[in-house]
Amino acid sequence: MELFLQRLFDGLSAGGVYALLALGLVIIYRGTGHLNFAQGEMALFAAYVVYQMGEWGLPIGLALIVGIAVGFAVGAAAEVVLVRPISKKSPFAVFVVTIGLFQFLNWLDGAIWGDQVLPNSGVGSKQSQYPSLFPDAPEDFVKIFGAAIRYQSLGVIGLTLLITALLFLLFNKTKFGLAMRAVASNPESSKLVGMRTNTVLMVSWGLAAAIGAIGGVAFAGINNNVSLGLMFTVFIYGSAAATLGGFDSPGGAVIAGLAIGVIETMAAGYISFIGQEMKLAVAFVVILVVLMVKPSGLFGTAKVERV
Amino acid sequence: MSLLTVDHLRAGYGPVNVLDDVHLVVEPGEIVVMLGANGAGKTTTMRAISGMIPRHGEVVFEGHDIVRSSPDSIVRAGIAQVPQGRGTFPELDVQDNLRAGAYIRSDKEIDADMDRWFEVFPRLKERRTQRAGSLSGGEQQMLAIARALMSRPKLLLCDEPSLGLAPLITQELFAVIERLNRDTGLAVLLVEQNANLAMHMAHRVYLIETGRIVASGSAAELSEDDAIRKAYLGY
Repeated sequence: MELFLQRLFDGLSAGGVYALLALGLVIIYRGTGHLNFAQGEMALFAAYVVYQMGEWGLPIGLALIVGIAVGFAVGAAAEVVLVRPISKKSPFAVFVVTIGLFQFLNWLDGAIWGDQVLPNSGVGSKQSQYPSLFPDAPEDFVKIFGAAIRYQSLGVIGLTLLITALLFLLFNKTKFGLAMRAVASNPESSKLVGMRTNTVLMVSWGLAAAIGAIGGVAFAGINNNVSLGLMFTVFIYGSAAATLGGFDSPGGAVIAGLAIGVIETMAAGYISFIGQEMKLAVAFVVILVVLMVKPSGLFGTAKVERV
Repeated sequence: MSLLTVDHLRAGYGPVNVLDDVHLVVEPGEIVVMLGANGAGKTTTMRAISGMIPRHGEVVFEGHDIVRSSPDSIVRAGIAQVPQGRGTFPELDVQDNLRAGAYIRSDKEIDADMDRWFEVFPRLKERRTQRAGSLSGGEQQMLAIARALMSRPKLLLCDEPSLGLAPLITQELFAVIERLNRDTGLAVLLVEQNANLAMHMAHRVYLIETGRIVASGSAAELSEDDAIRKAYLGY
């Protein structure tokens, strides 16, 4: 029982990070119909920035705000400079461009921060571990039915739910959210009712990257460090979550993200021959089965329209 | 002063020029109908007026040149377009479609306006929480018109509202447009292939052929012309 709960919360907190990445993917997909291959690397860049802020002595709260702002700026700039001009010529080329952006950001991280796992006192880090969003000392846990659940895990899960709730309010209760949904539904008509579709798309990309940034910082916090390869598998899990939940459903992305986190942790923990190496495959077998039954994802809308 | 004056309007898509030299005038409180065959440039004219495509020449609305204005500032100036093929937001419900129509407004009367258009279009009220994509063609057309009205326009552009609708529904729709015009003084510029119905309510009519206005006048004047009658009215 203790072990089960332990694994459940470990899975949920990793799943929360996948969910945040997936949310970003879904926001961009709904807005422009593109799969942003660089979503994970945008998050990683922000995670490095937060590390740097920590090095410069900023408390984590402020560092996170800087990281979110940088993430937003990177996302918004990518839309304006790369995606917008190219999508006019060929929507498919955008996918290739986001792969290029993925490469570029990873190279940039390496050029600035090197290929060491950070923090690393060997290369002069002042911090002993990555700035954590939540208390992360050895004694920072709470006993639930005998299982020691770390504040870190609870915090990341809570943060994921909080961001999901805020996004829900943004989408459904604000004028800007209405514009985001309208642009996703029919860009042409959005212009005809006076929406500035370009601004909406720029902010959508910025928002997606900002949410991803929070995910990246949270994941580096769980790992206690940041490195160039940190977000590779997280991005794969995140896009799997978006696929499983339905690419047009933010709520679905979150539920699927959490589910994937739990499945991988449970499978690795309970089925001995799977272990750490095979857990990725288990998650994908589950997704494959779901998609065979429901191609638009668990919560995605199959397009039905009367003409 | 005319509400809308279009002169020497040229526009097209990329290197292809669709409009050659369009001129037309809409006076306050008028229903103006533009007739033309498929591909004559009706939709392009509408899109050029609303700023959706690059265009040259003169488009003056209430004394202001809007030929270089962006679509959103043209909506703010008071021109709302009902695009061809309705152009609703299929994934949004009826109420959200109408709220989107009021996007440029920030006053407190948006809900009151919505109720008002629900009175004019009772079927939309019944379906207020249904997704627009699930409505019938006629209902979607009504929704598109109501959405345009939510911006409180001074000029309503309607691009072939009869497209794909049963004649009875079209009649009903045109009756609503006529009533709106009579009761509120809303000016309407409507393009149609379906000449018979549209000419009944028109104060003035323009004929467009391959990107040029080739004739204009009252409905009565134009239907006296044998060639025009044969080409557009079919008798």
